[in-house]
Amino acid sequence: MTFLAVNLLLMLTWAAVSGSFTLHNLLLGLAVGALSLWLVREQFAAARHRVNLVKLLVLTAVFFKELSLSAIKVALLVIRPNMQLRPGIFAFPLTLTRDFEITLLANLITLTPGTLSVDVSDDRKTLYVHALDCHDPAAEKRAISTGFERRIREAFPL
Amino acid sequence: MSAAAILSSSIYFALAMLSLGLLLTVLRILRGPTLPDRVLALDMLVAIAIGLIAVLAIKSGFNLYIDIAIALSLVGFLATVAFARFVLARGLSPEKDSGAGRPLPTAQKTKHGKPARRNKKGVR
Amino acid sequence: MTDDPDMLTAVAVSALLVIGSLFSVLAALGLLRFPDLYTRMHAASKAGTIGSGLLLLAAGIHAMDIAILLRALAGFAFFVLTAPLSAHLLAKAAHQAGYRLTNLSVTDQLPQPQPKSRPH
Repeated sequence: MTFLAVNLLLMLTWAAVSGSFTLHNLLLGLAVGALSLWLVREQFAAARHRVNLVKLLVLTAVFFKELSLSAIKVALLVIRPNMQLRPGIFAFPLTLTRDFEITLLANLITLTPGTLSVDVSDDRKTLYVHALDCHDPAAEKRAISTGFERRIREAFPL
Repeated sequence: MSAAAILSSSIYFALAMLSLGLLLTVLRILRGPTLPDRVLALDMLVAIAIGLIAVLAIKSGFNLYIDIAIALSLVGFLATVAFARFVLARGLSPEKDSGAGRPLPTAQKTKHGKPARRNKKGVR
Repeated sequence: MTDDPDMLTAVAVSALLVIGSLFSVLAALGLLRFPDLYTRMHAASKAGTIGSGLLLLAAGIHAMDIAILLRALAGFAFFVLTAPLSAHLLAKAAHQAGYRLTNLSVTDQLPQPQPKSRPH
């Protein structure tokens, strides 16, 4: 059922992107969508979870806000005559458990101000984050766990 | 000022800025000093090229250029992933051949502390 | 004069072009000025992504065609999704291979694997 819905969504996206809603093009989109879903069928079957759509939209909005803020921050830092950098890698204890949540968090961290995720420990309990300004790792950790981590947990309730 | 004039002047501004960006990135590729630095600069080069293609799409009016930019971003991503695997497989490289663009020894202490330290550890 | 729709798109496209290209050139400058690989990655993955993304968006708006705009947005989304991935992969690979952080760094809590001795 979910498979069919995602396939239809992919078909509509294909039709919109290629700019024609003719029957042939829709059928082609359906076929290509089915093929690509078949390719990722194992991951897709494993990734069944509830989604809170409103919270997901909030997460997306917050993400784009943070992305533009971080780009501006890095750009301003670059043109400053003397960059006062105190970079470092700190360990962030993960409370998220599922792989896709960790992936999402790592990606969000990379695109937000001053932080960049480097590695995940093998037991998936620690995320190593590189920060441009690492003089106060505790504050950074708090910002992540009350910011993105909480929002991801709300968007994908267990 | 007419719409066309504003557009064309900002197009030329963007082209100039992107060319400057390409030059700076090429400088980083030449200076290195390490392999991952060069890989990162190549990644950046692809990103700027995508922007350049988008500006050319506006300048020439060929919207097909946008598809080319998307294809290029796909290829650039795959290239970076492959390079990352290569960095991992090759390990720490001795960087013997990158002497040309090296910063001066005095600069190494303050600004480019990394090369000095790595040389001391020396893998060879 | 400014109510002219052509004028409005021209101004919007121009603004996106100027801001996007400025972000791109600042990312390139950051690549040159930051002291080590990991800090350079910040410049490339954030400012670089936004720069190219805004330029793609400008091209999409300029075309005045919903299909082209959607295509440009798809390109932007793809770019935003892949840029952190490649930065993350490269940072992980470089750290595992043994490339160290700059001396300015205050802390490195990521355990460093013992460097393997290389055959001559």
